[in-house]
Amino acid sequence: MEIIVFYLFAAIAVIAALGVVGLRNPVYAALCLAVVFVSFAGLYVLLSAPFIAVAQVMIYAGAILILFVFVIMLLSPPVDQGEGALKWQKPLALGFVGALAVQLVLVLALAVLPSARGSLTPEVIAQRGDVQVVGAALFSDYLLPFEMTSLLLLVAIVGVIVLAKKR
Amino acid sequence: MPDATTLYLILPEITLAVFGMVILAVDLIWRERSRAALAWLTVLGFVIALATALLGWGWNMALFAQMYVVDTFAIFFKLLAAIAGILVTLVSLDYLRDRTPYRGEFLALFTFAVLAMMMMASSASLLMIYLSIEFLSYMSYLLTGFLREDKKSNEAAIKYFLYGAITSALMLYGLSLLYGISGSLNFADITATFAARNDVPTRIVALVSTALVIAGLGFKISLVPFHQWAPDTYEGAPTPVTAFLSVGPKAVGFAVLLRVLLTALPAFKNEWIALLTVISVLTMTLGNLVALRQKNVKRLLAYSSIAQAGYILIGLVSVNLNGASPFSGLNGVLIYLFAYLFTNLGAFTCVIAIENATGAVEIDDYKGLVKRAPFIAALFVIFFLSLAGIPPTAGFIGKFFVFGAALREGFLVLAAIGVINSVISVFYYFSVVRAAFFEAGKDTAPIRLAPPITFSLVVSAALVLVMAVYPEPFFNLAAWSMGMFGVAK
Repeated sequence: MEIIVFYLFAAIAVIAALGVVGLRNPVYAALCLAVVFVSFAGLYVLLSAPFIAVAQVMIYAGAILILFVFVIMLLSPPVDQGEGALKWQKPLALGFVGALAVQLVLVLALAVLPSARGSLTPEVIAQRGDVQVVGAALFSDYLLPFEMTSLLLLVAIVGVIVLAKKR
Repeated sequence: MPDATTLYLILPEITLAVFGMVILAVDLIWRERSRAALAWLTVLGFVIALATALLGWGWNMALFAQMYVVDTFAIFFKLLAAIAGILVTLVSLDYLRDRTPYRGEFLALFTFAVLAMMMMASSASLLMIYLSIEFLSYMSYLLTGFLREDKKSNEAAIKYFLYGAITSALMLYGLSLLYGISGSLNFADITATFAARNDVPTRIVALVSTALVIAGLGFKISLVPFHQWAPDTYEGAPTPVTAFLSVGPKAVGFAVLLRVLLTALPAFKNEWIALLTVISVLTMTLGNLVALRQKNVKRLLAYSSIAQAGYILIGLVSVNLNGASPFSGLNGVLIYLFAYLFTNLGAFTCVIAIENATGAVEIDDYKGLVKRAPFIAALFVIFFLSLAGIPPTAGFIGKFFVFGAALREGFLVLAAIGVINSVISVFYYFSVVRAAFFEAGKDTAPIRLAPPITFSLVVSAALVLVMAVYPEPFFNLAAWSMGMFGVAK
């Protein structure tokens, strides 16, 4: 059962991701991205990480994607007809994608990545609850990166306002 | 909850974060009245950060679950960051006055840029490294594009941002591979993993990730072939920001590179030495050869700073911490960076002083400079002598230790290429000096210097000369600063 659900979500994610890259209308591409995010959320649930799944839907599909759509609507860019694309862009991109695919297959075939287990095993999470574990880690061991990120976001907002504000 | 020791050791970071916010708030409340006061508030913040950074000297502690280390190595770079902050703030005073209404935000963002530099110097986990590098990058993009009305400033920021985004993605991929192999973000665990596992697949993945991390940091340091952004960005950015970009991110970029390579990836020393040797030769040679053809002083200094990164890399390639030789490579890097900081900031301050008075940044505009501003012309000679590595200047001391380390390690060809490149560099540095001293210019109006700029010029020039004449304290500072967490001296 689990494996069927996995393949379902994975297939939807891959098809939608192809849509993000392939569709010429930016609004369609953005909507495909939403589908990618939601199917990822499904995969996280399968990995017994419900908190990350919810955060994925709320933050990525909710906040970030809405922002994308807003930017697209405000700028209303013309639908890309493929003019102005550089000739060597496509072969180069295909080359990179090919290299990445070969590398992924190699890594998986050789099973180099040992996927080491941390202290937060599914048992611990089942016992203490997903949100509590994430929260405790965020505000103890990862306090510094957490605070730093909040500062970074604040300053980035200030900077964007300075650059974009009407005079 | 962090304990008192932790808070004591991160006082410089806390100081800068608080000052950054206070500057934003004061700017909001006082608006017009506060403009001059804000710059002095910023300088005060950097001075306090400088003093509090020294408080942590000799502690050598890992904080926040081993993610953040305060060791003498990190403190050395925090001192560099604070000094660069003070000097750049002083020279930006006049420059910004007529160019942007958002000077309060500029100073706040700049304060946070210096904060990000300090955090980069102390980062000892993949997560902190990535976050602090991004922090510094965002601040740099914003400061580069700060002159909104200026097309060149916009172009500079966009080019910088696009290159930065791509290299940061590359580096993140490399970091994720390292995390995948070791299952940990901390350098100590990564080293332990590579000590325990030495099979071929592990080595391949580790080498790929090492190369990717070098690509990401190579962008910050402007190493060839990740340098293409540098000339356009340096030319278009507000000149004080250019001065900052040419020393600040570069210095802490080296700090992170040293820390990652020496404490997380020592198992692959032979491989990264081979890779960095090639990059070093390319960086020196390309930087110097292209600099020969430049007509714009900011572009010339951009290519010169690319070449300088190549020289510093020689010291990194020749690192050998065994034995008591005075040429450990690491101390060469530190001394070179210290010398380079004052020299390059000084050279850019001269450019800013002339730009403030005349708006000119072409070499041809410098003709007859000696008649108009004999003081600046004389200092230009000192700074260019130092950049070219000719005694008696700080640049010579830096090159002496870097090339000395290469000779000690038997990298004769590398050292020879470095010396040949230094000779080439004399030509373009002195094309500026020749224009300033020996050619007659059309304009003869004398150039007036603002007191803050004079002050930072005098400080930079004095340190460049003192380091050459009485280098002992600087050797000791570099020697003490080599204590890196987890690395035996």
